[in-house]
Amino acid sequence: MMDLGKQATDPHRPSEILDTLKRLGFGVAIAVPDSWLGEILVRIERESDIRLVRATHEEEALAIACGARLGGVRTAMFVQNAGLLSMGAGMVCLAQRYQFPLLMLVSYRGTVEDPVFYHVPKGRVTEPVLKGLGLDYARADRSRPIGPQVEAAATFAEEASCPFALLLSREDVQW
Amino acid sequence: MVSAARPSRSDYYRVLAGCLPKEALVVTALGNASYLWAAMHHAPENFYMEDAMGLALPLALGLAIAQPTRPVVVVEGDGALMMHMGALVTVGAVAPANLTVLLIQNGVHAASGGQALTNSGLDLAELARSAGIAQAENVATPEAFASKMSNPSPGGGARVLVLSTEPDIDVVRPPIAFDPVLTKQRFMSALDVPRYVPTMFGGGRLEHE
Repeated sequence: MMDLGKQATDPHRPSEILDTLKRLGFGVAIAVPDSWLGEILVRIERESDIRLVRATHEEEALAIACGARLGGVRTAMFVQNAGLLSMGAGMVCLAQRYQFPLLMLVSYRGTVEDPVFYHVPKGRVTEPVLKGLGLDYARADRSRPIGPQVEAAATFAEEASCPFALLLSREDVQW
Repeated sequence: MVSAARPSRSDYYRVLAGCLPKEALVVTALGNASYLWAAMHHAPENFYMEDAMGLALPLALGLAIAQPTRPVVVVEGDGALMMHMGALVTVGAVAPANLTVLLIQNGVHAASGGQALTNSGLDLAELARSAGIAQAENVATPEAFASKMSNPSPGGGARVLVLSTEPDIDVVRPPIAFDPVLTKQRFMSALDVPRYVPTMFGGGRLEHE
């Protein structure tokens, strides 16, 4: 049975993500599509203070993000976890080697909460691969507001001078 | 297209050093693209890439977006481009008017010892035009390159110059340390970009000094 009272009072988590990026002064967002990310990217595109760049591949997106941050603009990435798997070389050779602080907001597909048969192989290996890469990450906690978690991830990236991946569920990021 | 008698990378770099736009930022790809440029024209406004093959072009695109008032010149190789050809499409879509892409077309993977490319005979200017970059031309001589650089084409969007070049396999020894973090910090200091102020000092944001 639907809990209407809870729906009415719970903040809209994707809006919180966008509001947090704006409040923290993010000026560029680089994205590669995932179905969960579709609408939040459209919303970002309507923002006057955040430039959205739609890249063709996640490793390319990573390099664009490094370039934007090199140019002095706080930069976020929106990718699916498949993208984390396919950007490994660029991650270690560029983003980590040159110590670029980047916030990576990742739709975490193929977990037990998203048991889509073709996503499951990616979900199964995502966290072991991140550990193997030495990429700092956290899995967003749906019992807590998402805005402060995004801010903590962004702060970690800057204070540690490294990319940081925040793994998001559907409720976190799908508008 | 790759022609029979080709100039060297040095020939083109000599021209580039003499005609860099004022306040230009230069991104160079791995291998001699970076090592030779450091030897011939080291400056804090150079961002030298090492390894990360194929990522100089997209990095330069991000830089051009972040620094729209400064000319950005990127030197990328034909083999590197083939590793991330999608970046051409993104450059075409974003169309940054301050970005000049110099594609060294030497027909081989020079940085890995001269191994053959998958296809060394592509018309990369035509490819760039197909990717949405209207200002894309093949260049065969340093003189033609100098002319193109001193007479930028009118019109918006990025510009691609494909430089037909003799392969340079011998590694050039750069005159400076190629420390990646030092390269980044030196470059960002030269740009005078805002720096991150830690939360301990009441920051948590990028701020100008």
